[in-house]
Amino acid sequence: MVKKLRNFKDLSHITIQFLLASILLSGVFSTVQAQTDTTSAPADAGAATAAADNGIPTTPEAISEGENLFSSNCAVCHAIDAQIVGPALQGVTERRPLPWLINFIKNSQKVIQSGDEYAVNLYNQYNKTMMPSFAFSDDQITSILAYVQSASSQAAAPGQAAAGDTSATAQTGGTAGQDAGISSSYLTIILIGLVIILVLILLVLILIVSVMTRFLKQREDLDEADQELMGQRTNFKKIVTSMPFIGIVTFIFMAIVVKVAIDGLYSVGVQQGYMPKQPIAFSHQLHAGQYEIQCQYCHTGVMKSKSANIPAANVCMNCHQQIKPESPEIQKIYAAIDFDPETQTYGNNKKPIEWVRVHNLPDLAYFNHAQHVNVGGLECQTCHGPIQEMPVVYQYSSLTMGWCINCHRETEVNASDNAYYDKLLELHEAANPKEPMTVESIGGLECSKCHY
Amino acid sequence: MVKRFCLYSFLVVMILIAGCEAQGDYQGLEFSPQMYHSVPYEPLTQVTDREAGEWTSSLDDGVGEFYNSNPNNPYAMNVRIPPANTVRRNSDHYNPSAEALTDVYLPYRIPADSLEYAARTLKNPLEVSDEVVADGQALYASFCYPCHGGAGKGDGPVGVVYKGVPAFNVGRYRDLTEGHVFHVITYGQGRMGAYGSQVSQEERWKITRYVQTLQQQP
Repeated sequence: MVKKLRNFKDLSHITIQFLLASILLSGVFSTVQAQTDTTSAPADAGAATAAADNGIPTTPEAISEGENLFSSNCAVCHAIDAQIVGPALQGVTERRPLPWLINFIKNSQKVIQSGDEYAVNLYNQYNKTMMPSFAFSDDQITSILAYVQSASSQAAAPGQAAAGDTSATAQTGGTAGQDAGISSSYLTIILIGLVIILVLILLVLILIVSVMTRFLKQREDLDEADQELMGQRTNFKKIVTSMPFIGIVTFIFMAIVVKVAIDGLYSVGVQQGYMPKQPIAFSHQLHAGQYEIQCQYCHTGVMKSKSANIPAANVCMNCHQQIKPESPEIQKIYAAIDFDPETQTYGNNKKPIEWVRVHNLPDLAYFNHAQHVNVGGLECQTCHGPIQEMPVVYQYSSLTMGWCINCHRETEVNASDNAYYDKLLELHEAANPKEPMTVESIGGLECSKCHY
Repeated sequence: MVKRFCLYSFLVVMILIAGCEAQGDYQGLEFSPQMYHSVPYEPLTQVTDREAGEWTSSLDDGVGEFYNSNPNNPYAMNVRIPPANTVRRNSDHYNPSAEALTDVYLPYRIPADSLEYAARTLKNPLEVSDEVVADGQALYASFCYPCHGGAGKGDGPVGVVYKGVPAFNVGRYRDLTEGHVFHVITYGQGRMGAYGSQVSQEERWKITRYVQTLQQQP
């Protein structure tokens, strides 16, 4: 006991020391960060004032005009601080002289063909992508450059501050994470210790009780009431072995077993909850949920055919030729279609991606997506559940016949703007004007609708 | 003795039955496997294991009941890419009101590198009507919205991450012709992917109509 407690104390000492050390460390880091921030700020200011004398206006009007022109003409291929199709433009006014920039923007091909070394290198570096010619006046070009220049200096200053912030938060976040880790493991140690202590106390108490009874049994001078009190322990045994007790326990046990078994029987042939692991960890939560990409974007067959279809890899590549090429999951797509993201070229060693089918409707039943989604106007989620919240897709509905039939009984036919139903509606109104025309009333429960 | 045996075997059977439920990678127990698995080639299913379901097989063909793949195709797939230059009957979208051949879409033959020619010559075969624009808007919401945004400003949820998606109603984008829009949807342009495989010609023309309304926004 005592030894345990001492260990316990040591542990708490160690953790307290660790906590103090981490707090000190994070403090040192943040002061260092603050110092670098203050030293970098004046340097930026100096650069900005120096760049003002290169023939590019710095007036707010020119900058705002330039911003308009930039966003409508240049932003497709260029950003200030990121390479998109063409290079990032941050600091371009310092890299190249103004006349060269004007010539290049007006007609880049002419500059490249004239043999300008910088332009030729640039052209080769960006996979010989040609920048289109722009019929701007010199003033328009200088105003665009004015915007680029002001945006560059703005991007530089807060960019560095932000970088400093993130590293500082990363530092503190790291120590905080460590703290949390320590305290949680600390808690478990305390809990385990407490349980051990409680068990020990229980053992000691049981020992005391048995010693006491043995002692009392040796004494002869007990009266009857005390004798009875001592004999009370056997009553428990009587209760446990009594018929009603056994009966109740057996009944509860059997009831649970039968309930579980009946549930199990009903699940035979029902694949609700089937959630297979896919070869590529595609998340519907990310694509359909966070990025609001409609189901039909990938499952193009849903409006036109029986099956909604699994998209081919070219649909993935609409975005993933650019987005997240470094992810190991995306590289599985690249491997399947033999795509080299460095050279942006395709090879011949293609092989299919073997997705695992989740919804396996039995072959004895026919189901048509186009009929339900295009004509019936059902939402995908009606049957497939909250797909946009599923990181891994599972079968949400039971897809049993009772489930189909129930929906056909309750659902009103989507007959608006559909001449096909005009006659049926007339007939239905004549025969049964009070009730809505459900799928059932136009033969949606006929066996041969789905089984043939 | 017999009574006790009955009781225990009942318990064991009950517990075994409880394990039939589908979960994770386990598909669950099938009720009548012979009726569940397709005998003809099923395009979106492939079972390459020749012995799968042999225990329930009623035929003498030497392969299991569940085996479903075509060894004559590459990778034993059940679907096959149509031969090159195949023309689908009735265009890529059945048009019940087509009376003349001109109502049917022939394959789009202008090559990907002829954007200027397409922009100059192509004309939208669909009439100018609210219905076409509404159809186009619905298709736009499915296929274009993630990048180009609801009002075509390039601010869709993916477009923001993608960077550099142009707005339709500014600068030179405002004046792009319908032929240009159609051609770019078909083959892609710059960093935009080709959508010819996802949307049919008629759908592309509908989207073009809607994009034109977005170009005319103030």
